[in-house]
Amino acid sequence: MIGRRVFSTVSTLLACLALFIGLLPQRAARAAEPQPKTPIKHFIVLMQENHTFDNYFGTYPGADGIPEGVCMPVDPADPASECVEPFHIGNRPIEDLDHSTATALNQYNGGKMDGFIWALRLRNQEGSLAMGYYDGRDLPYYWNLVDQYVLFDRFFSSAIGGSVWNHMYWVAAQPGSEENRIPPEGYGDDVITIFDRLEERGISWKFYIQNYDPTITFRTMDQGGQRAAQVVWCPLLNFPRFIDNPDLFSHIVPLDEYFTDLQNGTLPSVAYIVPSGASEHPPGSIRAGQRFVKSLIQALMRSDAWESSAFMVTYDDWGGWYDHVPPPKVDDYGYGFRVPAFLVSPYAKRGYIDHTELDFTSILKFIEENWGLEPLAERDARANSIINAFDFSQPPRPPVFIPEERVSEEQRPSPRRGVIYSAYGMGLVLAGSVIGWAALDSRRQRSADPVYPLRRLTRRRRRSMTKRSRGAPDE
Amino acid sequence: MATKPHIDQRQRTKSNASPATSLPRVGAHPWPRRALVAAGAAATVDRLILALALVTGAALRLWQINSLGLNSDEAVYLGQAAAIAGDPILSQFFPIFRAHPLLFQFILALAYPIGGTDGSDLVGRLVSVAVGLATVYLVYRAGARLYGRRAGAIAALFLALMPYHVIVTRQILLDGPMTFCATLSLYMVSRFAATERPVWLYAAGAGMGLTFLAKETGIILLGSIYAFLALAPEIRFRLRDLALSTAIMALVIAPFPLSITLAGGGGSQRAHQYLVWQLFRRPNHEWTFYPSTVPLAIGPLLILTALLGLWLVRRRWSWREKLLVAWIVVPVLFFQSWPTKGFQYLLPIAPPLAILAAQAVIQLGQRAAATKIRRAGWLAPLLAGAIALTLLVPSWSRIQASTSDRFLAGSGGVPGGREAGEWIRENTPEGARFMTVGPSMANIIQFYGHRQGKGLSVSPNPLHRNPSYEPIFNPDLQLRSGELQYIVWDSFSAGRSPFFSEKLLSYARRYHGRIVHTESIPVAAPDGSVVQKPVIVIYEVRP
Repeated sequence: MIGRRVFSTVSTLLACLALFIGLLPQRAARAAEPQPKTPIKHFIVLMQENHTFDNYFGTYPGADGIPEGVCMPVDPADPASECVEPFHIGNRPIEDLDHSTATALNQYNGGKMDGFIWALRLRNQEGSLAMGYYDGRDLPYYWNLVDQYVLFDRFFSSAIGGSVWNHMYWVAAQPGSEENRIPPEGYGDDVITIFDRLEERGISWKFYIQNYDPTITFRTMDQGGQRAAQVVWCPLLNFPRFIDNPDLFSHIVPLDEYFTDLQNGTLPSVAYIVPSGASEHPPGSIRAGQRFVKSLIQALMRSDAWESSAFMVTYDDWGGWYDHVPPPKVDDYGYGFRVPAFLVSPYAKRGYIDHTELDFTSILKFIEENWGLEPLAERDARANSIINAFDFSQPPRPPVFIPEERVSEEQRPSPRRGVIYSAYGMGLVLAGSVIGWAALDSRRQRSADPVYPLRRLTRRRRRSMTKRSRGAPDE
Repeated sequence: MATKPHIDQRQRTKSNASPATSLPRVGAHPWPRRALVAAGAAATVDRLILALALVTGAALRLWQINSLGLNSDEAVYLGQAAAIAGDPILSQFFPIFRAHPLLFQFILALAYPIGGTDGSDLVGRLVSVAVGLATVYLVYRAGARLYGRRAGAIAALFLALMPYHVIVTRQILLDGPMTFCATLSLYMVSRFAATERPVWLYAAGAGMGLTFLAKETGIILLGSIYAFLALAPEIRFRLRDLALSTAIMALVIAPFPLSITLAGGGGSQRAHQYLVWQLFRRPNHEWTFYPSTVPLAIGPLLILTALLGLWLVRRRWSWREKLLVAWIVVPVLFFQSWPTKGFQYLLPIAPPLAILAAQAVIQLGQRAAATKIRRAGWLAPLLAGAIALTLLVPSWSRIQASTSDRFLAGSGGVPGGREAGEWIRENTPEGARFMTVGPSMANIIQFYGHRQGKGLSVSPNPLHRNPSYEPIFNPDLQLRSGELQYIVWDSFSAGRSPFFSEKLLSYARRYHGRIVHTESIPVAAPDGSVVQKPVIVIYEVRP
């Protein structure tokens, strides 16, 4: 009897405990989440596609941009070859330049960096387009953004190759496979990602994908059609352990959730974002890409998470475009050419150009240092962090909505205020002088009037009479 | 025209005719002591009436002067002044050169450092009040010059209490300074007419130049001067003097074209755009606008009295009546026929109307006294008091805090506008952009909120919009792409543009508008109770 009572009491308590835990799983998990070492509680990183630093910021003032006098030979082997100087692309039509590993190596040309046109001609492309660049007229939002926050001008793609390797470096600090393609069986358990580390430590994370189709993974990419590229942008879709584990798989979500998470205050500690239509991959619209990035950053700025967050934007590979800085050789895979990268955060240094040598694993390095995680591989262990871009001694900067128009000083002429002051001052003086002249003339006229002294006398007499009449009755 | 009579001779013959309180000629015979005492007492009464005018005028203009924030026009003029003064924030939103010359904005810019960004609205309004009170004094001088000191003092009292003048000179509008300059010109012309000394005609030219610099529409009064000179053949002048006066006027006006040409900043181009727009813009009010608004603001009894006074002297109109009538009729005819109408545009007719009404009061008093009816001497003070009362009561009512969710441009501050703007400045990110029903609320947001506002009702057709305003060519695109992040609805603009109000709210609904702030004012419910009614609602929208 007693045993049954004890059993029923214990069962009830256990049930209540289970119910409590079931009702508050997130709160319990959050309570256990390790605190970051810096004020950055939310780190968001977006990877766009296929541009070099010189292609986007080669003429940005103060950055290590396109050098004077550059002229790229059409055939580097021929000293008499004609050459192409860098030129502003503007509204010219562009094409998707070849960006295979072979092309990258030909363009690199053993470190001479003179094969940018020739390598593309080997792929039956005209190649001159590689020397084109954009500037503030084409990228007003990005240029305005880096005016206020941080631009990295020595940020290299991790591998001298295409998207697959570089995306893998972005999440795992290693290429994942020897070929720049997804293995048919996916990546094995020996490839550790940053999300494994975060999961182990109970740190919240999400991988947001624009236009996400959860049915397309490395197993189904052949039937994925145009949407199959999402497995390249999100390497986690190539890991059996991530797609077969419902809990882990639930961290890969459509981009819509980014906005609702911001609204609901449920933004995870680490968020990776990949685009689909607005990735800026040539010949896609760079303006559409800017709008996309703007929508993400503005949404963050409007949320409560802004004060404790950092938003990083970078590009997965060079896309076939010219860049003048030879990438340092750190191992068999990299570095690749420089890519654009910039950081937006309330703690970011203002209008700062960071010259620290960085690559995609520098992002991992920051996450690891901020949340106290072990390095994933040798690359991230050796990489520099992006920490230099922050100034944590300053109070968090209030959000600023960066405009999409870039107005130069020539376009916004400031009127010469001195002219206005002088002109209107002179007008007043002139009018005052004429009116004063008239008044003086009138006074002079009155003085000359023989009746005037009598009037003055009468006025005086009248005044004294009035005073007297108050004291004594009139006679 | 080449020769003219001796001034003093003509002045003597004229001045004996009408002024009630002017002194008898001195020297003709010795003055009796009683007459002198009476004249002294009359002068004291005149001074008391003038003091009363200035004190009550100041009280009416200063009472709760800054309880409501600036309206759209005030925000624009003060924004221009801030830009002239080099305010780095407001100069982003308010270009220096817009529609009008910059005399008043230039004066406000000189005073701008006193108030700074936050106190500039109060300082600006105090400058306006000072100009308004100076006009009251000028009316006294002009009235005294035309009909004697008593008439001048009563006219000053009428103007000081007149709702039309009180309302406009409590605000930072160009019409108050323009009316001051116009009244100064009227005074100069009257001095010229009285003395026929050309120097007063030159001074009138300078005054007209200032009138133009205060607001270009003041140039209409040039028509009044020429009409007066044409209709008053007894006033003789030389064409050379008239030409010289016109040249002086042109010189005083010169800062306007000079500054827009030499100062740069796109002023010249904008001035041309304004000219085109003003010439071809659509009417903004019905033809009944002025008849239905201005007489009530001037005071119906005052107008009737002025008309009665003119009727009483209909057989012997002197140059004085001709001058005052010309000063009223020309602008009325012009603005009634001009498609662009504004509540405050007819303000320059207020001083001559006040003088005419005061003259009528004196006339009626004299006529009543002549009838030998018992206590007829009280008629003039009673009539003046009645007119003053009919002016004071509506003025007092108009300067109380508004309990209306409707708004007539130029008639006062906008309830809740300043508070909404300050909320925006404190609570929205720098660089945020706002879509409003019309440009009026956009101006207020820009002034107080330091954020860009764009009016949905601004036409994409350049011929149909003020060149200072940027239209929203594709609101859906701008909302979807995050170029516009907030929507502001206000009942004042909604009352004027119900279509765009509904359109704006449809965007708020379509883009998940979430109310983030509301400004309400107490309004009287049909059952007599006072309820809080939202007048400004700010939505945050998301693509």
